[in-house]
Amino acid sequence: MSGTGLVVLIAALALATAVGLVLRARNGRVRTTTGAGSPDGWALTGSTPEGAEQVLLLQLSSPVCTPCRQTAGVLGELAAGEPGVRHVEIDVADRPDVARALSVMRTPTTIGFDRTGRELLRVSGVPRRAELDAALAPELRGRPA
Amino acid sequence: MSAPDGSGAPARSADPPLDPRGVRFAAGLTTVVLALVLVSGSGWLAAAQALVFAAGAFAGMRFAPYGVLYRLAVAPRLGRPAEREEAAPVRFSQTVGFVFAAVGAIGYFSGLTVLGIVAAAFALVAAFLNAAFGFCLGCEMYGLLARARAARA
Repeated sequence: MSGTGLVVLIAALALATAVGLVLRARNGRVRTTTGAGSPDGWALTGSTPEGAEQVLLLQLSSPVCTPCRQTAGVLGELAAGEPGVRHVEIDVADRPDVARALSVMRTPTTIGFDRTGRELLRVSGVPRRAELDAALAPELRGRPA
Repeated sequence: MSAPDGSGAPARSADPPLDPRGVRFAAGLTTVVLALVLVSGSGWLAAAQALVFAAGAFAGMRFAPYGVLYRLAVAPRLGRPAEREEAAPVRFSQTVGFVFAAVGAIGYFSGLTVLGIVAAAFALVAAFLNAAFGFCLGCEMYGLLARARAARA
């Protein structure tokens, strides 16, 4: 029986619980970002908005990553049902330069860009679909021409 | 054991994809064992947990003892998993766990009890995060390392 060990056990469990709660609160949450000065996702991936496309959802993934696959499912479905959204998935193993340019550490990370390449939002983890829809709605409803 | 999950994805490594509930179950057992290590200060228990980690890390996830226990005793009572999880990051996390458990055992055996406690506590935090929140620290490290390797190549 180790008194010190018991104290450390309780402290470690408390710390881990706090960290876990923070991670769970952040995971999949849509954060609107002010895109001032951040690079243009269209240009980084060599794509241009076509037709009705208003928003690029750029997904950064790694090769062996279960949540990346789930994220691709969520975003693929969204883009399929919404002509204003383009979904592009890149593998950070192939394009570490893109991850560096956008300061992305974790996969999956999804970054939304408007038609002009301004960053709108970021999501770390599998995006919460309802939050993402709500965040994109103002862009997709179309601004006055 | 590894019936095709219908995704049509080719197997990328020797380890078939894992049932995520089994991964959580194993992390829960690991948390309990590491808590007992901290409370008892037993180097032998830390060494036993290091061996458990070593089986999954070096022989393959099929041989991970807690995973075997899950497949034999728990999985038959549950339905089929809704999804499966890539094995490679989990296997890597077992390697990280092995290092911490082994260092912990060495600490306790050699009288460097503080080293034993610190190593066991780190491993416990990682196992608990996985068991309670489904967050796999070792898997995150795996992703970062895979990127670093790709960037250098």
